[in-house]
Amino acid sequence: MTEPTLVAVNDRPALTKELRLRLRTPAKQRNRELILLLFAFAINLSALTLVELGALGEATGELFGYSVALCALVLVAHVCLRLTAPEADPLILPIATALNGLGIAAIYRIDIYNGAVGWDAASVRQIAWTAIAITIAMAVLVVIRNHRVLLRFRYVVGFTGLALLLLPLIPGIGYAQFGAQLWIRVGPLSFQPGELAKIALAVFFAGYLVEHRDSLTIVGRKVLGMRFPRARDLGPILVAWAAAMAVLIFQRDLGTALLYFGLFLVMLYVATGRVSWVIMGLALFAGGAVLAAQLFSHVAGRFTAWLDAFNQEIYDAIGGSYQLVQGLFGLAQGGLVGTGWGQGRPYLVPLAQSDYVVASLGEELGLAGLFAILALYLLFVARGMRIGFEGTDDFGRLLAVGLSFVVVLQVFIVVGGVTRLIPLTGLTTPFLAAGGSSLVANWIIAALLLRLSDTIRTGPHVVVGP
Amino acid sequence: MSELTLLVLKFGFLLLLWVFIFAIVYALRSDLFGRVFRRPDVATGTGPTVSSFPSTPLPTPIGDVTGEASDTARRLIITTGAKAGLEIELTDQPLSIGRSRENGLVIRDDYTSTHHAKLLLWDEGWVIQDLDSTNGTFLGDERVTVPTPVPIGVPVRIGTTSFELRR
Repeated sequence: MTEPTLVAVNDRPALTKELRLRLRTPAKQRNRELILLLFAFAINLSALTLVELGALGEATGELFGYSVALCALVLVAHVCLRLTAPEADPLILPIATALNGLGIAAIYRIDIYNGAVGWDAASVRQIAWTAIAITIAMAVLVVIRNHRVLLRFRYVVGFTGLALLLLPLIPGIGYAQFGAQLWIRVGPLSFQPGELAKIALAVFFAGYLVEHRDSLTIVGRKVLGMRFPRARDLGPILVAWAAAMAVLIFQRDLGTALLYFGLFLVMLYVATGRVSWVIMGLALFAGGAVLAAQLFSHVAGRFTAWLDAFNQEIYDAIGGSYQLVQGLFGLAQGGLVGTGWGQGRPYLVPLAQSDYVVASLGEELGLAGLFAILALYLLFVARGMRIGFEGTDDFGRLLAVGLSFVVVLQVFIVVGGVTRLIPLTGLTTPFLAAGGSSLVANWIIAALLLRLSDTIRTGPHVVVGP
Repeated sequence: MSELTLLVLKFGFLLLLWVFIFAIVYALRSDLFGRVFRRPDVATGTGPTVSSFPSTPLPTPIGDVTGEASDTARRLIITTGAKAGLEIELTDQPLSIGRSRENGLVIRDDYTSTHHAKLLLWDEGWVIQDLDSTNGTFLGDERVTVPTPVPIGVPVRIGTTSFELRR
């Protein structure tokens, strides 16, 4: 017998043996995930049915087929996880699925009032975007088998993020909506590239900070008992941040600017553990907010609408507090347990499908429902932080913290704005709000967290070095 | 559809939502009350477990760990390098050291080889074996060429990281 045949004969049993072993090893995490996914499917399908029952009085089942198809796609993602990341966290996928489904139901409810059907209906588009987003998330899981690849490409990713931020400023494909130049349009598709840029910047910040953490922490001048780093250590990251800020202010989207600023500050703090950063950042932020209120009329308008919302003049003014107050009325109407799906009037609030989806859900599900949604976010972010905490390599740890912080800060800015805790800024609610780019970005975040958690459970125990 | 049915369905949905949340919280109870289950270690399970992440390693009393008066080291403490102060609890299993992810202790710097060295328990004493690394493993100031016993408190240096064994 010749050598090659021997290899072939020996090779095949090894492969089947490995496959059999893999099938026989109980995937405990994945089985948990499957049970929770069935829960999430039940929630999503019953929400859609209840919307129809409440708003139309009968179950027409118009979106039921699409929604079942979406559940099937989530199951495909589950199988994909079984194959590519069997030890990944079992809670992230069910939570994301449930939030996404609740969002679709809330959007569908507004569509029923508007009489939008087919491709004009935002809910149908949302379902299509969800399918695209989940597919992209699966692709991320399949392609990125080891998150340290991202560390190697940190500068490439960082520049891609900046390029994405700049895209809407290019005449021809970029266009403005609601006074912010944030969208690009290619053919019939419109997209908000800034949503993806936040992931790219999180990767860049994590990679850069891991590399330069020591020089940022130890070297530097001491002023007023706080240590400030050298300009050359801080330079690149400050340039990246300032460029992002300049672009955002130029595009007049201050909510996103606030989001990037918060991300930058938290990652810097987590990497260096220096309180001076937080103090410096908050001072910078306060200065920036005052400056923005002086320079931009629409920012000043937001501040007045926030502080004096119930003034009739401000309520009636264009760009005044009409939307904010209507949202608050809706939440008040909802009360403790809500009006029930399809029985409130969330459509009275402008943008009830996107920016104000939280107010819509609060009206129809009440405080009990809204708190359930916030609890889902809390659990999602708690898992992300946990992944960061348990991570073995510093890049993965920082990345997990950064990605989950992006989600939590976004929820805070939106819910805080809607409930009049902070001035209102136009940001999307992760997974819930109508909008394809936001869905894609958040599902990619979910996929990256899943990948990181799988690496932690299967990877080495102790890692010295970046 | 009657009012009452809708009311019941409304509460039913909220209940379903909260049951889902409590199901999730139940699934992560191991996070809150400590780990209930342990993953059956297959191939990668030879590594140690990180017990703590202190900046100043505390000398722990050993009376409860080992009844016998043996001199076997139970802990590995990293003394210099990026993770100085990190303490690793040693089991009876060998501990592989190197740049690759398969190792129990991964050291990523410019001087470490993929599979750099190995710590083995040999007759109640730890022995370090260099796995033909490029830049060598040093016990004290001597380069390790053959498997050498590691006395407690003597620094072992690999690249820019050094560690020593403690009881």
